[in-house]
This record gives sequence, structure tokens and C-alpha cells, in this order.
Amino acid sequence: MTNENTLSLQTERAERAVIVCPVGRVDGSNVGALESAIQEQLAAGEKTLVFDFAGLSYISSAGLRVLLVTARRIQAEGGKTLFCGLAEHIAHVFEISGFTNLLTICQSRSEALAAL
Amino acid sequence: MTKSPVRLLVVDDEEDLELLIRQKFRRRIRKGEFDFVFAHNGQEALEKLAENPDIHLVLSDINMPVMDGLALLSNLENTNPDVQAVIVSAYGDMENIRTAMNRGAFDFVTKPINFDDLEITIEKTLNHIRALEAAQETRDRLVVLKRELDVAQQVQMSALPKDLPSSETHDVQALMIPAREVGGDFYDFFPLGDELIGLVIADVSGKGIPAALFTLMTRTLLKGTARDSPSPADCLSRVNDLLAEDNETCIFITLFYGVFDLRDGVFRYSNGGHNPPRLVRSDSQVEELPATQNLVLGIAPGHEYRNGEVRLAPGDALFLYTDGITEAQNSNDEEFGEERLDAKLASLGQVSTHEIVTTVVDAVRAFAGDAPQSDDITCVAMRFAAPLSAPTVGST
Repeated sequence: MTNENTLSLQTERAERAVIVCPVGRVDGSNVGALESAIQEQLAAGEKTLVFDFAGLSYISSAGLRVLLVTARRIQAEGGKTLFCGLAEHIAHVFEISGFTNLLTICQSRSEALAAL
Repeated sequence: MTKSPVRLLVVDDEEDLELLIRQKFRRRIRKGEFDFVFAHNGQEALEKLAENPDIHLVLSDINMPVMDGLALLSNLENTNPDVQAVIVSAYGDMENIRTAMNRGAFDFVTKPINFDDLEITIEKTLNHIRALEAAQETRDRLVVLKRELDVAQQVQMSALPKDLPSSETHDVQALMIPAREVGGDFYDFFPLGDELIGLVIADVSGKGIPAALFTLMTRTLLKGTARDSPSPADCLSRVNDLLAEDNETCIFITLFYGVFDLRDGVFRYSNGGHNPPRLVRSDSQVEELPATQNLVLGIAPGHEYRNGEVRLAPGDALFLYTDGITEAQNSNDEEFGEERLDAKLASLGQVSTHEIVTTVVDAVRAFAGDAPQSDDITCVAMRFAAPLSAPTVGST
């Protein structure tokens, strides 16, 4: 990963959820792409999203805001949002900001899928 | 609404052309789409253009008396840069056509004129002119926005404390380098009576105008609340409730606020999701201020913030910073990180707070090298020099 603005978004369909895997960096320059990818799932009626952050190298506060808005919106519709695969430094950001208390974080994707 | 016709200037010393043009374009003239103005040489063309500033397209012959088409083109470049010219030239007169193109002509048609081709060429040129005008309009609008952004920057910068105090008890210095015109970081510093001082550092999610508005709002709310309560946690709880009202966009702010007691060196603070500040002891030991396990402000109304407390001895310093420091990246995508920050702080010794902030920021910039600055860089340093002496009553 040499280009700092690189973000690729992959989504996978699991049995009971859509798994969103952002690979690379999420920052102010590309947070719109993440937002649209999420919007697309929500517009399609998806109510259970699992964010697999195994490939995420960095997320800015603008990115965290989008995650928060998403989790809120899904919660309001009776759905679930789970996060897994956080690298140590990403988990640190979640911890400092207090997001660990607001969002549901699982160790691994299998743990997240089992929690549904 | 009827659109006014597009006015075009035709320059040719042959009188016949005027008749021919009026004849061939009669339908579009009648429909009010085109309106032709005629001139018979370059000189006359410039006069007509001066009389009709709404003309943006000139169709010109090359060989004419007084001033020929090529001379006209040279003049147009200087006097009417927004006028586009289409040259009419004899078939095969490539030399003149090349000269005309090099002098800025947009296109050319050949004689004898094929009027269908001419009409297409006119339409194409008009489209080009419209695109240029639209681009100019966008540019003008951007200039206005840029000016507003500059004003916003001034407003934001003027909201930062200017005179950072230095006295026998303590001194404070801050440094902020926004990544864009207006940033999402802020710091503040204010006395609360004679014995206490408030110290703030914060970072709002996102950047630009929305972030700047949110920082100004937070700063004002906190400053107002700080006068009412000596407890930082209490202030954060109140400010959080106010910010979280109707905050559907979930913009949030990480905010650290502490109150330093100049009498005994006790620093009480509450940390709303911000990077933990450092306490640099006089023997260069660097400590992270214990977390208060609290959330960023603005998204969870009713969240109860807690206080933490440390005690500074004379010579100890506090260092507050935003993630623009620790998350600054070099071209290998490595972050400056907390370890480098702590090592830098430990290496400083008893230097002035000015030197603390500049040395750290210089180190961050040297580390980042040519990599672009993606986040605001902000830090504040405060050193406790000596406790406030008790009011001396009646002593000599």
C-alpha cells in the first residue's frame, strides 16, 4: 500500500449479513466512497452489516463519523452493525475515542457472524 | 422568456458576402437566433467590437485593405481576449491558415464557403465560447468562496488565545498548523480567577467550514460553562449535552479540558475521547495522563464524564496534542506515533515551552518529509515554574 489515498471497498454476502471490507485508508479524501457503499446496502434494505477491518490501515475521524451514523441508522431500523478484524492501532483509536462503548466490536469475522 | 439573438461579426471587404450571409441564415435571423454585424476590414471590425461588447464570435477574411485578418487576430489577442475568431481563407492557403491559428484563431473555413459547414463551425465555436464563459463563472464563484474561506480562517485564528501568559508561576505556548484554510483543531487557555487556569485542546471530526463552525460553537460553550463549575468533568457533561442536541450528522469532537491550580500544582482534567496528554517530569520522565474512560463529545447525550487528577511539581510540564502529530505519515506510510513523541519529549530537558512546541512540530515535519500534511497539527505546552505564593499580608 504505497498510495496513501488508496481505498478499495469489497462487500461479501454472508448468510445473514453483508460484510463490508474497506482495504487501505479511510480519510477525508475518500470517506464519501465508504458512505456511498454503505448507503447502497441500506437502500437495498440490508439491516445487518459486518465491517471487517482486517485490511484497514487507517481511519480518520471523518471515517469514524460515518460508521457512527451508519450504526445509529441501522439501530433505528432494528438492525445490527458489528465490527471485527481491527488492527492494534485501529483498536487504539476506537478505545481513545470511547467508540468501544458505542459500537459492537468482535475479535474475528467468525465471532461476529456467530453473534448475529 | 425570449433569448436575445447571438450577435456575430462578419469581416470581409466583399460586399456580396453580406447579402449571402443574410440570405443563407435568414431563417435563424428571423427566429431571432442570430444577428449579424458587418465590417469591411480589420480596423472597422475593432470599432464594431468596441460598439458591441456582446459580440464574442468573429468570422473574418484574411486579405482586406487597411487591416488584414492576420493583423486583426493579433489585435484581438490584446484588446478582446474573450472573442473567438473563425478565419475564412482560400482553399489551399495553408500558410495563412497556419499563421491565423498560431495567432489564436479558433477554427477556419475555406472559400468558396460551404454554408452548411459554416453553420456547424459557428455552432461549435459558440459551444466553445459558452463553455469558456461557464468556466469563468465557476472560477469567479470559487474566488468568492476562497475569499469567504479566508475570512473564516481569520475568524477561527482570532478565536485562539493570543497572549499566552508567562509569569513566575507558569508559562504556556501553543502551535497550530491547519492542513487546510480552516481546520478542525482548536486550543484554548484562560484564567479562572487568580489561582486557576483552564487548558483545552480539541479536534473535531472532519475539516473545513462545518468542522470550523463546530469548533467555534464548542469553544464558546466550554468557556461559558467553565466559569460556572470548577469541575472539568461537570463542564464536559454539560457541553456534551448541548452539542448532542439534534446532532443528526453525528459530527463529534474529541476534547480534553483541565484546570490547573497554581497554588499546589494539582491538575484536574476530564478527557472526552482525546489523545491523552503527556506529563513531562523535571527529570525528563514522560507519563501519559491516566485515561478517564470517556467518550467524544456531541453524540451521546447524558454521558457522564469523569475527572482525573495529577499533581505537578515545579519544573514539570504538560504537553497536549492532537492526532495530527502522532498520525503524521512519512512517504513510507509510517506514522510518527506515540513512541517517537515520547522520546522527543524525554530528550528536551528544561527548555522553554516555546522550544517544546516548536521542537516537537519540527520533528514531526522532518519525519513526514515530502508527504503531504493530511491533518491539522496542534500542540500546547505548559510548564509549572513555581507555586503561587500565598498573599503576603503585612510582611516586609
